[in-house]
Amino acid sequence: MKKLVASVFVLIFAAKTFAADVATDFSAANKLYAEGKFAAAANAYGAILGTGARSSALLFNYANAEFKAGHLGEAIDSYRRAELLAPRDAELRANLAFVRNQVQGATVRESRWQSWFGLLTLNEGAVLTAVLFWLTAALFIARQLQPALVPRLKNATRILFALTLFSGTVLGLQATSHFSTATAVVTADNVTARSGPFDDAQSAFTARDGAELSVLDQRDGWVQVANGAGKSGWLPTKQVEVLPGA
Amino acid sequence: MLDRFCRIIILFFAACLLISSGRSASFTASLDRDSIALGEQATLSLKFDGIQPQDAPGIPDIPGLQFQYVGPSSSFSFINGQTSSSITYNYIVAPQRDGEFTIPGMRAEVNGQQFSSSPLKLTVSKVNAPSASAVNSGSEVAFLKFSFPKSKIYIGESSVGQLDLYLRDDVQNFGNFQLTATPTDGFSAGKIAELQNQRRRVLVGNRGYTVIPLAVPLTASRARALTLGPFTASVVVVLPSQNDGGDPFFRQFFNQGEQKQITLASEPVNVQSLSLPEQNKPANFNGAVGNFTMTATAGPTNLTVGDPITVRVQISGNGALDAVTLPAQDAWQNFKTYPPTTKLDTSDQFGFQGAKTFEQIVSPQNSDVHELPPLTFSFFNPDDGQYHTLTQPAVPLVVKAAGASPMPVIVANKNSAPENQPPQDILPIKENLGILATKSSPLVAQPAFLAVQSVPILAFLAAFIWRKRADNLANNPRLRRQRTVAQLVNSGLSDLNKFAADNKSNEFFAMLFRLLQEQLGERLDCPATAITEADVDRRLIYIGASPATLESLRELFQLCNQARYAPIQTRQELVAVAAKFKKAVGELQKLKP
Repeated sequence: MKKLVASVFVLIFAAKTFAADVATDFSAANKLYAEGKFAAAANAYGAILGTGARSSALLFNYANAEFKAGHLGEAIDSYRRAELLAPRDAELRANLAFVRNQVQGATVRESRWQSWFGLLTLNEGAVLTAVLFWLTAALFIARQLQPALVPRLKNATRILFALTLFSGTVLGLQATSHFSTATAVVTADNVTARSGPFDDAQSAFTARDGAELSVLDQRDGWVQVANGAGKSGWLPTKQVEVLPGA
Repeated sequence: MLDRFCRIIILFFAACLLISSGRSASFTASLDRDSIALGEQATLSLKFDGIQPQDAPGIPDIPGLQFQYVGPSSSFSFINGQTSSSITYNYIVAPQRDGEFTIPGMRAEVNGQQFSSSPLKLTVSKVNAPSASAVNSGSEVAFLKFSFPKSKIYIGESSVGQLDLYLRDDVQNFGNFQLTATPTDGFSAGKIAELQNQRRRVLVGNRGYTVIPLAVPLTASRARALTLGPFTASVVVVLPSQNDGGDPFFRQFFNQGEQKQITLASEPVNVQSLSLPEQNKPANFNGAVGNFTMTATAGPTNLTVGDPITVRVQISGNGALDAVTLPAQDAWQNFKTYPPTTKLDTSDQFGFQGAKTFEQIVSPQNSDVHELPPLTFSFFNPDDGQYHTLTQPAVPLVVKAAGASPMPVIVANKNSAPENQPPQDILPIKENLGILATKSSPLVAQPAFLAVQSVPILAFLAAFIWRKRADNLANNPRLRRQRTVAQLVNSGLSDLNKFAADNKSNEFFAMLFRLLQEQLGERLDCPATAITEADVDRRLIYIGASPATLESLRELFQLCNQARYAPIQTRQELVAVAAKFKKAVGELQKLKP
């Protein structure tokens, strides 16, 4: 037991130390950004991300630095990863929209329902649905245990049941989008998508830095993508960042 | 083979053309009418006889006339061994003003040969509104009447004029209605459209007319004497044919009517446009004319220096809402303001009624700011000829001093178009790292999370089963009694053991007798008080009780009876009786009642 308590304390101490280190590095990267050394700031933020640390602010700042350094694709990729953690951050959405407006050429834009679903993270949606589900189940159980309460709980049960169904449906669609679709963000300029996963395959179309493309397939270091103009082709994975969801 | 056949055909037609051109090659220009009214159209035909130009000839530019190429038509004839062919290029001629026009002679070069046409004259007469006597006599098939609700209008004031198209009741059909001139100098005019569901029939003189009203939204833009109209238009009407002959009865069913193009003009209407008075003009008046109300909200109100406050101002009412702008607020000098975004929601088809919403971002510049100063908006109401100023009260603010965070660059809401300029740059970086997220798969993909969701289902199933069993028990009195008696016997056995231990013979046998009655009563489904020793022999045998059980029960009943007369028993004897009772009851409970 003593060993277990000691291990927990060691883990907490290590986590606190790690967080303190990350915060120090984060401030240093912010300073580089404030001095206008955007490429250096991007490297510094990237190094923090390399340790496995993740926060929406860290990804946001990294995206800002990449954008200022002229890397639209890296910026969009990072904003979108930040959006997965903080989907309702207005500043993040504003910056993402701004950077997207700078992207040239064909690109895939999220539909209205996708942006609507994106208001909650998948985990938030799961917790919300679970809470509604538990509350609905509690009402159903109460109706079994106390039949006299049935008339009084009728409306509440119906409303909660409907909300649970709705929330569950949205969660299902959200999960389907998250697990079964993916987006590739082009991180190099003027990349050539080829008609097959080979370097000498015929050119299908070209994409600009920051273009967001729908992922159709992935194979041996290549990713098959479709642009918003109805064309598809294969790109080397080193030229794109693949994100979950549409 | 096919190639050879084509060559023969081409040679044949070329020969025909050569023969015909050798005879009578000519180029002529003609108009279908040499006199039309303004608003009507004529057709210009350029005919080539016996020759085939490569392309349609170009028409010289004639000020006041517009030409629109319609297409070619050709003819070919073979009569008495002689062939003739011609091609005609047709143009629609639309005059832009009245007057005498000359279409000069045109030249065309075909196969190196020069051809020229004669000049043409076209007279375009001005269209005048019919006289009142002509209208009242019913001789006009159609006419236009324009009315404007105001004789005086202030600059910036909006109003809707009405242009009525009158069609006499013998007009079977009409179409191709086109406004050819809509002079509204000094006004900015909106889209002219028919007023829906407002067609009506009226009597003019002694003839019935159908009136088709058109709305003309107008906003005065110059202050002087203005003239609206004359509006001119052309319409094609279908009138009953006069030459069908035959029986009048059948004619009313089979008369297809005659098409007739009519040019229409309305009487001009004079309107005096007035300047806005200088007297009592508010300092912040910025040209809004109409009758408006204002609502405003601002938030958040608890913030730090440099944080954005969204101020939403809605101006509703009647007037040229499109031109309404939010005046500069001089009292906001302690705030940094950003260009507002606007949204216009109109509730009528002319855009003169509705609401315009402004969304402006302001941010306090220091922590001494304690309120958002009152917001004012001034307008001129043409109905009462007065200026009015609307004021929204000050909004209390709690502004905390900020650290060294940079001033945010506010990006407009992407759903509303910025009024002046789009965002120029991204928003700055965040100073705080925030909460570090752990890298893990989403909850919906974690087995533990999914397993936990089965708990309410299992709980509900348990509650459901419990409910069903409770209902069954409530609906089965025999089962309920069986359980009650089983409970009673269980507790009675412990009481028996206790009485035996305390050597309380009377209480022991009283309890024993009662338990025997309860258990047998439950088994035999009859009241417990009615059970006697006789029932053991008489009824228990029928539910399958073994002789040993019967014997035990008889003995127990007899012991109970004896105890009334000789109650003293030893402790060991009482314990033995209790054990015997337990055994007998156990066997009884196994029986199916």
